[in-house]
Amino acid sequence: MTVAAKSRGGLTPAHAALLILFWLLAGASVYPLFWLFMSSLKSSPEMFGSTWALPEEWRWSNYAAAWEAGISQYLVSSVIVTVLSTILVVFLSAAAAFALVVLKFRGKTPIYAAILGGLILPPEVALFPLFKTLNTLGIYNTYLALIIPYVAFGIPFTTFLIRAYMVTIPAELNEASIMDGAGPVWTFFHVHLPLCRPILASAALIEAMRVWNEFIFALTFVESESVKTITIGMMSFANALRGDWAVLMAGLAISIIPILITFLIMQRQFIGGLTQGAIK
Amino acid sequence: MKPRKIASALLISGFSLMALSAQAFAEVTISFLHKWPEPQNLAYFEQAVKAFEASHPNIKVKMEAVADEPYKDKIRVLMASDQVPDVYFSWSGEFGKKFARGGRALDITDAVYGSDWTAVFSEASMGPFKYKDKLYGVPINVDSKYMLYNKKIFADNGIAEPKTFAEFVAACQKLKDAGVTPIAFGNQYPWAAAHYIGDLFGKLVPNATRLADYELSSPADTIYTDPGYVEGLTKFKELNDSGYFNRGSNALSHEIARGSFSAGRTAMMYLELVEFGQLKGTKLEQDGWDFFALPGFPDGKGDQGLLTGAPDGFMVSAKSGHPKEALEFLKFLTSPEQGADYVKMTGMTSAVIGSVTKDTADAATLKGLDVLNKASGLALWIDTDMDARSTEVLLAGSQAILNGTETPEQVMAKVRETALAVKKDRGE
Amino acid sequence: MMAIQHRMVPYLFVLPAIILLLVFVYGPAVENVIYSLYAWSSMSPDWRFVGFGNYGELFANPIFWTALLNNIVYAVVSVLFQVAFALGLAAVLQAGVFGPRLRSFFRTTLFLPSILPVTVVGLLWQLIHQPTIGLIDQLLYTTGLESLSHVWLGEERTALIAVVMVSQWQWTGYMMALFMVAIAAIPRDLYEALELEGASKLQTFRHLTVPGVRESTLIFTVITIFGAFKVFDIVWVMTAGGPNHASEVLGTHMYRSAFRDDVVGYASAVATVIFFLTISVGYVQLKLQRDHG
Repeated sequence: MTVAAKSRGGLTPAHAALLILFWLLAGASVYPLFWLFMSSLKSSPEMFGSTWALPEEWRWSNYAAAWEAGISQYLVSSVIVTVLSTILVVFLSAAAAFALVVLKFRGKTPIYAAILGGLILPPEVALFPLFKTLNTLGIYNTYLALIIPYVAFGIPFTTFLIRAYMVTIPAELNEASIMDGAGPVWTFFHVHLPLCRPILASAALIEAMRVWNEFIFALTFVESESVKTITIGMMSFANALRGDWAVLMAGLAISIIPILITFLIMQRQFIGGLTQGAIK
Repeated sequence: MKPRKIASALLISGFSLMALSAQAFAEVTISFLHKWPEPQNLAYFEQAVKAFEASHPNIKVKMEAVADEPYKDKIRVLMASDQVPDVYFSWSGEFGKKFARGGRALDITDAVYGSDWTAVFSEASMGPFKYKDKLYGVPINVDSKYMLYNKKIFADNGIAEPKTFAEFVAACQKLKDAGVTPIAFGNQYPWAAAHYIGDLFGKLVPNATRLADYELSSPADTIYTDPGYVEGLTKFKELNDSGYFNRGSNALSHEIARGSFSAGRTAMMYLELVEFGQLKGTKLEQDGWDFFALPGFPDGKGDQGLLTGAPDGFMVSAKSGHPKEALEFLKFLTSPEQGADYVKMTGMTSAVIGSVTKDTADAATLKGLDVLNKASGLALWIDTDMDARSTEVLLAGSQAILNGTETPEQVMAKVRETALAVKKDRGE
Repeated sequence: MMAIQHRMVPYLFVLPAIILLLVFVYGPAVENVIYSLYAWSSMSPDWRFVGFGNYGELFANPIFWTALLNNIVYAVVSVLFQVAFALGLAAVLQAGVFGPRLRSFFRTTLFLPSILPVTVVGLLWQLIHQPTIGLIDQLLYTTGLESLSHVWLGEERTALIAVVMVSQWQWTGYMMALFMVAIAAIPRDLYEALELEGASKLQTFRHLTVPGVRESTLIFTVITIFGAFKVFDIVWVMTAGGPNHASEVLGTHMYRSAFRDDVVGYASAVATVIFFLTISVGYVQLKLQRDHG
């Protein structure tokens, strides 16, 4: 705001209009979630009967019911798949980026092109063939059925991201350690990985978000309730509870509470990491 | 003398030990998939599995339950991935036949007919599970569809149970004029419309023609050309256009619609016999309710005594590694004791003869079963009796009819086109 | 010995990545094209070579064209909200119209929907759209605007737009945050210079901000269009492409063909078309990037 306007000490009409606009947008963004949480504490008839009111009594029992109906299993599956996929993707992509940036070998350009090429392939195109392949390999309906495709599809972007960062590491560092007689493997683990920690963190965050919320692979490659991630598990959950809306709301709430809390605590890092990565 | 005795004793005990441990190691796990994850129904299956495992120590049952609508997808995916459960749920009619045709269901004709197991079911409930005269599945329940009505609303408006479809329409009009929503209807998943349409087809199209069309065995130039089809769709459209259904049926789930019916806000709803239990303890129960079969047409070319309904049941995978154990489990599930428990705990009508009695079920359920047994025949759920692709077209078409974007003639033309294409693909 | 070791090592670093990509990304893409040349169902083992027959069927299928049109609508609306509108919002926040605390608050709240899983978003909004008892209808009824009410997800005219708008609800804030970073990269002294010259906020926006983020705008537009052609999850959760295919998109059409209608060859043809469309968009991006340096 210009100094002049501030000293006028009032809101210009434009300023006021913008303020209203933003408050409306903020409200529209947040109110559905607020309604979700309020509804989860009501009884089912109350949910649609007195939609706008606060709950009559705060039925925490809905949460217990939702938990028992199987949400816990879905969360466990999601955590396992997300953690393993993220670790693998970041590691393999960092390795590839390291080789592309630091090491000398023939075929760098075509290999890098091959890695980047994966970016234009929409996952849907590979859906049915992958479905068949996973069956043939015998890993359909297991955690691997999700982890492997997630890692494969995450490599292009993550490699691109890490490489862009690694390029900024001074070349002297490479030469220094090689002169000391250290091999590339040692250099990778003790020099580059630690130096790249910021971008590795961003990459991990981006991948974790993508995998946690991933839908179409999770829908197609696993079937058993014991292996389903929370994204798809919610659908079965919603179908089983078609009569009991409030418990369904509680289930939805449980599924997003971890993300919400993490987000609100680490807003800066979250938004920073996600946007930095995307900008690159 | 003595050493030989000791030796043989040792040998015998050694062998018996090995046999015993072999038995212990021969623990078999069978997978079991059904479509009742609702807490109340799930509870029954959980205790059934526990009871079975207790009486059969070598057999473990791994159970999974998925709701009605996603079940259709799930079983198709499982078939495509060769991971068919040992025991799995199947609707009867074309849905089940498709498994038999594809060699996915075990032929259990001898297992059932060749033992006392056959005494447990009626022929009528097993018929829809037969393909080319061989039995591929056993029924777990029998179900039929009735038009339930709120007795208080009917009485307040001086309406009696209609005996013909025309009377039914008149009753709806009377209710509408009095400001009451005549019929609760939730078609978010279009099987709900399919049940109406299937019933109308059954009453307006000659039975032999209809069944041959569904099966795709009719000749290409006559398949789905009977005027009864368009007539049926038109009657359905009229119910909607006259405003007898609640608003927004295409976006309303069946359960939400049922909620408004059981809260006493609508006069009627087309519900299944197995849903009767869902109405306990509601305002509707206080108001009092009864039901009638959807009435027919005096000049209808179909069978006016047909009741929409079907047995639901289970099949065994043809590729099961443990067919014997799977059949054991099925036999257990359909034993008289389990049948009675099934009725008591879920309120659904078990197919086991003699399981639905005064002790296990309430008066309404008994009456419903009685009407079912007296019907001249069952018109199976149309969305599991027509082939998958024609069904998709008909279902999408029903939503279009409700929205007024397509006419009955257009929809039937599309169904005919699709049926011809499927016939061609099947090489018929 | 050491020399050979050293020569092999780089390849070992990239090998896992390359193998994974070949087997699980490129392989299936090629297989998909092959599948599209046959007609088969997953229930039976027989395949029938039909050459381009599936593609012919595809182009003759009105549902395919509906889906394609819907994807285009999706793309247009998405660009309007997630690029144009988001850029505007970002510019306002970056221009310091509000204090830093308020700015941070708005950014966080608008960003929030984008971290939610699509299933939760879909189910939640499905309930909000419920006829008569849902939040939207209730709001319309209590403010006397009932005539504006529709059966949002049940009517063919409104189903697609309802889903598209939910997508915008979810992503506009995210794109706004992205634009904020891009705008922040524009040197401050350029802004101060314009301010000294007495330029209005609007003029500054048009002549400095917009050109200043041109590259980002281009990339974001392409990504948004990309996403609009690939979209599957939110549509599947909210309407599954219904009612009567009114909200069908290429993604749902492909999925349904493969896993419900059981015509895998045809489904592969649809997937190949999606691939072709996204490649074209990517190609256009590359060309535009090269032209603008």
